[in-house]
Order: sequence, then structure tokens, then C-alpha cells
Amino acid sequence: MKNFIIKMWQTIRRPSVHFSLGFLVIGGFVAGIIFWGGFNTALEITNTEAFCISCHEMEDNPYEELKTTIHFSNRSGVRATCPDCHVPHKWTDKIARKMQASKEVWGKIFGTINTREKFEAKRRHLAENEWARFKANDSLECRNCHNFDYMDFTAQSTRASEQHSTSLASGEKTCIDCHKGIAHELPDMEGVEGW
Amino acid sequence: MTKSLSTRTAAKKSLSMKSVFALFSAGILMSTLAMFTNAEEIATLRDNTPLEEQKAPKVMPTVANDDIKKKRNYPMQPPVIPHKVRNYQVDLKVNKCMSCHSRNRTDESQAPMVSVTHYMNRDGNFLAEISPRRYFCNQCHVPQLETKELVENTFQDMDSIMKEKQKAQKAQAEH
Amino acid sequence: MKMNRREFIKANAVAAAATVAGVAVPAAASNLITSSELTKLKWDKAPCRFCGTGCSVNVGTMDGKVVATHGDINSPVNKGLNCIKGYFLSKIMYGKDRLTTPLLRMTDGKFDKNGDFTPISWEQAFDIMEEKAKATLKDKGPTGVGMFGSGQWTVQEGYAAVKLMKAGFRSNNIDPNARHCMASAVGGFMRTFGIDEPMGCYDDLEAADAFVLWGSNMAEMHPILWTRLTDRRLSAPHVKVAVLSTFEHRSFDLADNGMIFTPQTDLAILNFIAHYIIKTDRVNKDFVNKHTNFRLGETDIGYGLRPEHPLEKKAKNNGKTAGDSTPIDFEEYAKFVSTYTAEYVSELSSVPVDKLNALAELYADPKIKVTSFWTMGFNQHTRGVWANNLVYNIHLLTGKISTPGNSPFSLTGQPSACGTAREVGTFSHRLPADMVVTNPKHRALAEKTWKLPEGTIPAKPGYHAALQNRKLKDGELNFYWVQCNNNMQAAANMNEEGLPGYRNPKNFIVVSDPYPTVTAQAADLILPTAMWVEKEGVYGNAERRTQSWYQQVNAPEGAMSDLWQLVEFSKRFNMEDVWTEELLAKKPEYRGKTMFNVLYENGNVNEFPLSEIPDDRLNQESRDFGFYIQKGLFEEYASFGRGHAHDLAPYDRYHQERGLRWPVVNGKETLWRFKEGSDPYVKPGSGWDFYGKPDGRAVIFALPYEPAAEFPDAEYDLWLSTGRVLEHWHSGSMTQRVPELYKAMPDAVVYMNPDDARKRNLRRGDLVKLISRRGEVQTRVETRGRNKPPRGLVFMPWFDASRLVNKVTLDATDPLSKQTDFKKCAIKIEKV
Repeated sequence: MKNFIIKMWQTIRRPSVHFSLGFLVIGGFVAGIIFWGGFNTALEITNTEAFCISCHEMEDNPYEELKTTIHFSNRSGVRATCPDCHVPHKWTDKIARKMQASKEVWGKIFGTINTREKFEAKRRHLAENEWARFKANDSLECRNCHNFDYMDFTAQSTRASEQHSTSLASGEKTCIDCHKGIAHELPDMEGVEGW
Repeated sequence: MTKSLSTRTAAKKSLSMKSVFALFSAGILMSTLAMFTNAEEIATLRDNTPLEEQKAPKVMPTVANDDIKKKRNYPMQPPVIPHKVRNYQVDLKVNKCMSCHSRNRTDESQAPMVSVTHYMNRDGNFLAEISPRRYFCNQCHVPQLETKELVENTFQDMDSIMKEKQKAQKAQAEH
Repeated sequence: MKMNRREFIKANAVAAAATVAGVAVPAAASNLITSSELTKLKWDKAPCRFCGTGCSVNVGTMDGKVVATHGDINSPVNKGLNCIKGYFLSKIMYGKDRLTTPLLRMTDGKFDKNGDFTPISWEQAFDIMEEKAKATLKDKGPTGVGMFGSGQWTVQEGYAAVKLMKAGFRSNNIDPNARHCMASAVGGFMRTFGIDEPMGCYDDLEAADAFVLWGSNMAEMHPILWTRLTDRRLSAPHVKVAVLSTFEHRSFDLADNGMIFTPQTDLAILNFIAHYIIKTDRVNKDFVNKHTNFRLGETDIGYGLRPEHPLEKKAKNNGKTAGDSTPIDFEEYAKFVSTYTAEYVSELSSVPVDKLNALAELYADPKIKVTSFWTMGFNQHTRGVWANNLVYNIHLLTGKISTPGNSPFSLTGQPSACGTAREVGTFSHRLPADMVVTNPKHRALAEKTWKLPEGTIPAKPGYHAALQNRKLKDGELNFYWVQCNNNMQAAANMNEEGLPGYRNPKNFIVVSDPYPTVTAQAADLILPTAMWVEKEGVYGNAERRTQSWYQQVNAPEGAMSDLWQLVEFSKRFNMEDVWTEELLAKKPEYRGKTMFNVLYENGNVNEFPLSEIPDDRLNQESRDFGFYIQKGLFEEYASFGRGHAHDLAPYDRYHQERGLRWPVVNGKETLWRFKEGSDPYVKPGSGWDFYGKPDGRAVIFALPYEPAAEFPDAEYDLWLSTGRVLEHWHSGSMTQRVPELYKAMPDAVVYMNPDDARKRNLRRGDLVKLISRRGEVQTRVETRGRNKPPRGLVFMPWFDASRLVNKVTLDATDPLSKQTDFKKCAIKIEKV
């Protein structure tokens, strides 16, 4: 066993002793593509709702709560899936978010929220993470679909158009400031600004 | 009829009933001789449908969302909600309605503040926050759907009665 | 100086004329009317017309019309609050289609079962009723005559009806719609305690540390009690709320422990809790030893269906012995419940073990004062009496009963289900003050009070609600009078029983109602009826509170109260028409007298003269009959309960109070019964005294879980539960006519789990058929409303006259209480 490891190490350290440079360049390139493609494919698989709700924690809690909301069922059938709101579209942000998400996998393995009660206990914490992220990126994931420039205020209710044409337009407020709890149940809102 | 009945005295009772019946029958026969209702059409809320049958249920109406306040039938009537409340969460964790309608939120929301009675406890003392007995707003306040009532309601509000009376008084005074 | 009514009116008229003639009316000085003469409203109290909570409301009238209503600040029940229905009481009497003339199905001027509804006079209406009733009596005898009454009747109306039927017509075929609502609760009380109605009161709501809702959606059905429960939960944070139901509903919004269980397994959960209390050694041994007995109940008792139904043929003990039990001891009981382990019950009910344990701990922990509430989830149950017995078990095992906050509390759905249906005894087997027709002593007492010959009241119980519809269908019940309810819409299995029964050519059906309801449409004769504050009356609420009100406006011309109809109709019969010669021979002085003379001019009912009615008060019936009939009926009725633990105060006192909780002894109401210090009937030194039982001991019953009458299978793959909604009261005949309430909840939709909908390729708003073995109803799918059923169960309310869900439901009843189970049957759903 020890010998095998030493040999492997030597091969890696000095590959040209065993393989031609051309083989190494081309092989490395191909391997890179395969790895890269595989990585991205794998990444994209983790970026689907099906993947998200393959954990019962997600299926029974946030997904179940989503089902009755307007982001699940609405007049035009354009619906938001989990990653639409919870994974950034820009690659670098996405990778950053995925690194964060590794903690969620950890949580899954150790059963941090494997019952409704545990999920409820963590709800405020989890919600605050998402609110903070939305606040920091000016509700980027909302705006991927709800583009302020194309909003028709005349098609909105009086209340909505008033708020959108003032606080939202001036940048004083961002979407998440008002639209908390639109896709999942709210946590205990004690002390939350605006509640 | 009830008025005429109520002024009768005990002694005249049996007589009174007869005369009332006679009056009553005559009145009815005169006014409604040719009137009848098809037996299958009597239940107003069934829209002229025999009990064995069913009309295709109408589509689900949408919620009125125009933010226009509706006149109350009397001052103590809880106002109806002129907007959608889909997925408004009111439970142990949060009261979504009060994020606009509570006293300290109305400057930002410009929503009407809940009335002062909502701050009173069972004994009529004012609390610093909305009374927990009023916590579930939807027990008294409901949105309205875009649909037409099946039966007209002839309730007359106090204003229209007062105005009628005032008019009558004036007319009488002028005579 | 005392003026009579006529003088009073005259004087007022003169005064008014003088005002007009002598004093110039000033021109309006403003756009507002400020003259107090014009703006003044007349306010008076009345109990709410709707549920059994019994809120008091202030009714504002102006010029003979109700113009405003609001919660009565002086009422201990609601302290100024109303629910949305209560706030709109002002409008319930003003639907444009109020009936103002009797309507008879006629062709060419003659009664014809298949004719069209034609206006006739009251005289003609009573003529045809008299003719049909007399023909039936001649043909079938008293059992051919029947009446279906109501927990919305005033106490006096129910009492007058009982006398008319049981003493006059000598038929016990009178039952109230409360049979659908409270019969299992009554059965539970009588079996466990030997006396009906809750021992606790609403004050428990401010005293309890924990609340458990068993099949009760208080948030929608008892909103004002829910405000009190919410107040307690939120203002005292240590308080816990557990909610059990077969689907998630609004009461879960306040639940610390919300539990969805598989229908019918509530029986197992109740036994599990008893087992948990015993296993964790938290039985209150002192209490149990002194105040309880243990009994083992009969099992396999059937489902109250027609005898030829396969389920009834299969059941071993569905006969007279179904309610029997044998004494056992504590050890035997403990062994009986020991099979109901958390794991077994969790598997059966699909409630997680930890939730079951948390629930059981609320009862077991001696430091927690716990109040249990239930309504139709327990009562509309083919084992409804058992469910009631089983919840008493856990309160009795722990001694958590009859003290503030410790309260097993059965809620009621109708304003006078307690007052009229139960206390007056308008059931087919009952008499006033918990007495029954099968007991010769009870009959004798009633006959004595009513000044009737011995043997007047028949000993055999009459037809109960479900049986009435069956007997109508079978042509055995031929003259049938329905008052103050909408049973064609309300009763289960309308297609196979109710509708064929009413339309059976052998039968003559009379329906009294303010509005043309579904039941009216099925009738042969419709009588226009006065309602609520158009008459004087008394209601009794769920906490034993008796409340009265005065007539405050006149009914629309032509509409008469149920009381007037009953009493006036009694004038149409001589005693020779209704009694046997043998009976008449015992009271020869009654020969040639009318039922009116014998039943209502008997020296009791007509004891109080009109002069006792304040001159400025309306009272249509009294002024018509010539005596203060509401007081006379009340006082004669009250004499049954006084001195027998059902004491009522003198009638006049109720006009001064916002109700009083009986027994009212020495002018004082009783808050907690059976407990020394708070109940004057408890023997001194006993601590607790369950005096409804001869030995003063309540019974703890060993009763098992047994399956429902019908459950989903491969073809009919869904449970159907039916029920009510906040905005409408019962069948909606009043609330659907209030535009604001109609628009808040116009149609009965079927509430469905989104996954169940997807599986059937359905979505919200789709037109579907709910199909059972008995019939079908069309409606639309709701996947995201206020009710969130689990997979495998759907819920549809029954308020909608145009979508009759009771064409689908099963008329299985509890064999003990005869109450229908509206909460469980098997259906399938298909897209239309």
C-alpha cells in the first residue's frame, strides 16, 4: 500500500518520465473538458427543483408551503422553481452560493432539520440568511423575472403602483423589504423591521 | 296584519281571528289571484333548478382588489377588505395584516389604522398593542369576490330612514 | 298612572301631532341631521340568531326596522365582540324573497302534490293541514303524524311543539335538527354522568393552561369563543393549544401541536391517552376511587343504517343492547387500554409518536389545567357517544373536571340546541329536564304538570331524524311538519331517503320558513314565518346560559311565528279528534274542548295576563291569544326543572340579565357543576358529586376503536368530510341573503390537496363531480383555500343550496345517539 502511494506520487510529480508531452497536453485538455463538462452538468443537476426536493426536508417544508402560493400557480403558468430564487444566475455568484450550500448538505447528513419541529426552530435563521442575501444583491433573483423597467403601474393595484413608483423606483427599498413570506411561511417576525 | 292583531284584546280573540282571516284571505285573493310559482323554481338560491338536477356551477370568481372603501351599512359594521389577502399569514408567528394596519405602520403603509376598539381588552381597558382577542382579523373582516348576489337585500340604512322622516316632517310643516 | 297599549299609542300620536302642528320644524341648518328626535335609535338586547356560543347583541331599530347590530359590551359571553355573521345580523331579515303568504301546491284551485305553489290564506292553509292531519290520524293513528323541529326554535316554541305532538296528537315522532348536531353529546353526558350538558362554562377559557380541540374548527364555527381562546393563548404565553382534525384548517393557525389523523382513529388516540396516563402513573387515584366506576361497553354495534343493509346484518349487537355495559375494575380497564400504545396508535392514525406523547402529557401532567373542546368531529361520528365517553375518561382519570380551567366541553352549533332541543326535550325519546318517554315515572310527572289523564304520552320513542326520512319514504309517516330548519339540504343521503320521502304521494309535507329554501321547494305547503327579533323568545347556549329577548319589530305582513302557527293550529282539533275514548273517559271534562283549550288554556300557560307585558312592547302572539303566552309556556316548562338540578330563574328576570347559567338556585347561577362550593346540588363534604348517577359516581367506559361505516377503496378512493364555514351559518338560508357574506364566500367548493388534484389531472377552478354510491354533486376544485386536506381526503361545505353535497353523503348514524356521521364517506372525483 505504502509503495503504491509513493509510486503514484512520483508519477504525478514527474509525469514526463512516463508519458510524452503531447499526450499530456492533449490528454490534460480532454480530461479538463470532461471534468469541466461533468462538473457543470453535475452543478446544473443540483440546480433543479427535482434535486432540491429529493431531500424530504425540502419537499415537506418549503416546497409544500410553496404549492399554495402565486409563485407556484398563477394565471400565466410561469412558475418559480427553487433555484430561480435561491441560486444566482451569474456563474461566480452561483459557485459562491454552491459553496455555501455545502453547509446545507452537512445539515442534511446530520439531520439538522429532519423534522418539522427542527425546521421550525431554524426557520427564522434560514429566512434571515435569505433576506440578507436578497438585501445585499438588491433582490437580484426577484429582478431576474420582475424587471422594474418593464413594470406597467397602470396594471397594478393602487397600493402596489404607489409603492413601486416611489420607494422601489428611488432605490430606497428593494423587493425583499416588503415581499417577505411570499413563497414560504414566515418565521416568528418579532423585531423584524417593518413588521 | 300583525298590527291589527296586536291591538285585539283577549275578549275579542276568537272573533278577531275570524275577521282577520277573512280580511286577509280577501286581500290575498284580490292581489294574487292569478299568481303562482312553478314548484321547481321556488328556492331562490337554486336558480330555478329542480332538486333532482343541478346547473353547472359557475366559474370561481376573482377577489375584488380595487382598494376602494365600501360604505358601511351602519357605523359598527366591520369594514370589508377591498384587496386580496391570498397567503396572508396570521398565526402564532406573525400577523401580516398588522404590518400595514397597526398604528406604527400606517405612516409608511397609508393603510387605515385598526379602530381604537381593537386595543381594548375584555374589560374595556386600553392596551399598548392590539388586543389578542382581536388577533385573527378574518373573523370579522373579509374580502369580497367579484360576483353578484343571488337575492337582493332590502335592508334600509338609518340615513335613508332619517332623510325620509325629515322630508315627511318638512312636508307636514309646510302644509 | 298605567296606560294600556291602545291608550299609549293614542297619547303618542297626539303628542306627535302637537309637535308637528305647534312647533315649526326648523329648516336643516347643516348637511348633517342632528335633531335627536330623528337620529335617535332604539336599542335593545337579543341573543345572536346563529351558533350555540350565545353572544348577546344590541339591536338598533328605527321606524320598525332593524338598522344596526353590534356586540353587547355587557354580555359576559362576547364582551362587545361579534363574528362577521353576528355583525351582519341586521340584514338577515331583509332578503327580498321573504315569504308573506302561505303557498300550496295546487292545480285548478285544488291541492295537487305535483301542482305549482299558489298563494292561499292562512285559513285555507290550516284547512288543508287539518284535513290531511285528520285523514292520517284516521288511517294510521298517531304514528302517522310527525314533526321535525329545531335547535333554533325558541324555548317556548319547542315546548309548545312537544305538548302539541306528545300530549295532543299523542305521537312521539317529533325530533329536532339538533339530532344531526348534539345527539351524541347528549348520549355521552347521559351515559357518563346521567345528566345532560357541560359541567364547566366559558370562564374555563380564561383559566386553562392548555386547550385541546377534538374535531372542532372553533376559528370558523365558534369565532367568539375562539377570540377568548386566542386571547388566553397569546396573553399568557405558557398556555398551549393542541388541535386535532382530519384536515388542516384555520384553528391550526394557533396550534402549538397540530395533528392530522386518519378519520375514525380519534377513538384510538383517546384510548392511547388513557393508557399513557396509567402507564406514567399519573392517575388521580383519590378522585378515581371516590367518584368513578368502570364499565365495559358493548361492541360491534352497527352503523344505524336500514336493517337490510349488509353492515347491519353483519353487526352482532346493533339491537336494543347496543348501549349496554358491564362493571369492571381499574385493572381490567388498564389492561383494556394497554393495547393502545403510542406506536400502534401512531401507525393507525398517522400522527407521529412524539406528537401523541406531547398531547397525552397535557392531560397527564397534574399541574396543567386542561380544557377539551369538541363539536361535530366527535358528534357526527358513527361512534359519537363513545368518543364523548372516551374524552370524559381522560378527564376523570386525572380528576381534571368541574374546576376552573379543567373542563371537558362539548360546544353546540345552534343558538338553542341546549335550551330548546335538549332542556325542553324535543327529541323523539325525551321530555323536559332530561326525562324520557320510556320511563313511566317521567311520563306520569309530565302528565300531571300538563293536567292530562294518565297514559296520554306514548311510552315508545318516536322516529328520530334519519328514521323520519326513511319512514316518509316508506309511506308510514304521512303528515309531516317541518319548522325552523332546512333538512332537505341538511340531512344525509338526500337522493335515496329525503327527497323520495317528501315527494312520496302518500305524504303531506308542511314547511314553515321565512324564506323559500330547498326544503320548502320539496314541500306541499309552505308557511311564511316570522324570525328572530320579530318575536319574543328564549334561547339556551352551550354553557347552560338562558337568554331572553323581546319582540323588537313586526314581521312582514303575513308572516307569523312558529309559536303562533303551532298554537293557532291546535284550535283546529277537538280532543275527540286526537284522543281515544278510553283516554277521554279519564278526563270527561275535556270532551268538546279543543287542543288549544287543553294544552294552552290549561291555567298554566294562560296564567299571566297581557298587563304583564310592558305597554310599549310588541308581542304579536300574546296580544292575539289574549295572554302572555311566552311567559306562561316558560313558567310551566321551568316547573319541570326547578328542584331537579335544572332550575331556571323567574321569566321576568331574564329580561333584565344577559342570561343566567342554570341551575339558578336562590337567584344565583351555577358556573361549575358537580363540584362542592360551586354547585348547590353537591352533597356537603363530598368534594365532587356526580349526582346524575344514583351513586354519585361518573362512569369511565372501556370502549374500543372500531372502523368507520364506509372508507375509501380502489374505486371510491377519497374520504369526503362535510362541514361549515365562517361566513355562512348552516344551510345559508339567512347568510346567503346578506350580500357581504354571500360575496365573501359565494359557493361551496371542494377543498383538495394539490397532489391529489394533480394526480387526477385537475387544477384549481376545474369543474368536477363528486360521486358516491348514492349520488353525485358538481362543484369546482379549490387547492389553496383556508382548508388544507391531507392526501386522500377532501372537504366540501354544505351551505350551498345550488350544490347539494348531501346527495353524496351516507346516512350512517351512531346506533346509540342516532346522529348522522357527515364527516366520513367514500367518494371519487371526476372531471366534468
